[in-house]
Amino acid sequence: MAAAAELTLLEKSLGLSKGNKYSAQGERQIPVLQTNNGPSLTGLTTIATHLVKQANKEYLLGSTAEEKAIVQQWLEYRVTRVDGQSTKEDLRTLLKDLNSYLEDKVYLTGHNFTLADILLYYGLHRFIVDLTVQEKEKYLNVSRWFCHIQHYPGIRQHLSSVVFIKNRLYTNSH
Amino acid sequence: MGFGDLKSPAGLQVLNDYLADKSYIEGYVPSQADVAVFEAVSGPPPADLCHALRWYNHIKSYEKEKASLPGIKKALGTYGPADVEDTTGSGATDSKDDDDIDLFGSDDEEESEEAKRLREERLAQYESKKAKKPALVAKSSILLDVKPWDDETDMVKLEECVRSIQADGLVWGSSKLVPVGYGIKKLQIQCVVEDDKVGTDMLEEQITAFEDYVQSMDVAAFNKI
Repeated sequence: MAAAAELTLLEKSLGLSKGNKYSAQGERQIPVLQTNNGPSLTGLTTIATHLVKQANKEYLLGSTAEEKAIVQQWLEYRVTRVDGQSTKEDLRTLLKDLNSYLEDKVYLTGHNFTLADILLYYGLHRFIVDLTVQEKEKYLNVSRWFCHIQHYPGIRQHLSSVVFIKNRLYTNSH
Repeated sequence: MGFGDLKSPAGLQVLNDYLADKSYIEGYVPSQADVAVFEAVSGPPPADLCHALRWYNHIKSYEKEKASLPGIKKALGTYGPADVEDTTGSGATDSKDDDDIDLFGSDDEEESEEAKRLREERLAQYESKKAKKPALVAKSSILLDVKPWDDETDMVKLEECVRSIQADGLVWGSSKLVPVGYGIKKLQIQCVVEDDKVGTDMLEEQITAFEDYVQSMDVAAFNKI
């Protein structure tokens, strides 16, 4: 998904009606937002964080110091590892790490829904859509988390809904 | 419905398997359903039941808002996987029945000894009658034509999706790809169904639910066995 499209989705999910115009910079099409009176903001996570504050939903950035750090950690993860991957092997490693991380957590920070969940959902959507039934079962915790986030009101919007089958077809262990 | 005895390791195992792909007991937000099950569990589940433990810790974090979570607290036996026997004694429906409507039980979880004994007796009679049912079951062999959107649709995935449809009385058979022109191939797949349990309407609904791959489905042939 192009960065500008993703930021527009984020705006809508935050309830912002404005509709900023984003431009792209450089070879990797990094999004840029020109603010009204201030400097221009560059970078997906920077702009996303700014939008959250504009929408008065700072709780989405975490409440305790540790939680805020974890949110930042996953935003960084999204830009470096999810967007930066190139091979199928990268994707597998990423899903494996994420799967073991999510084993004991409902959301990325543990118990609360944050911006990290939103951006990771948008970032991973194009990969999860293509997973086979067997892979979705293999990365069961990722599937559980993804299915949960896509049902969260206002997040999925026009993105396709990924089907997760209820019956375990392949293995009994994970 | 129900998880069995949640104070026993077997019940916790059922809960664990149920929660493997779900964040909450019902739906996608915490509700009174989670509160009901949380209160039935005697403490945090052991670490090897990782999903139950994850759920437990998560619901515990809602300790203060317990009373304000949405939904109505129902009897424990109404939650959980549909094929587990309800041992909480609050419903009189046959556990093998998919029917959730409780015609004989009361809302009260407490049941008098007399009523319980009577219910067990009646259940035992029903079971024995069911067991005597004749072994001959009416079956049919159906040949389905599943058509993709275009020639770029991944037919392997499509077949996988179709074969993933599971139902009691449904057995998938062999399949092959038949070209229909312009490079498009349709999937012709055989299946054997028990007439009482599976119908072509249900199959059609479930197959066409895979909207990303399947454009339509037709019954090419239908033979009684």
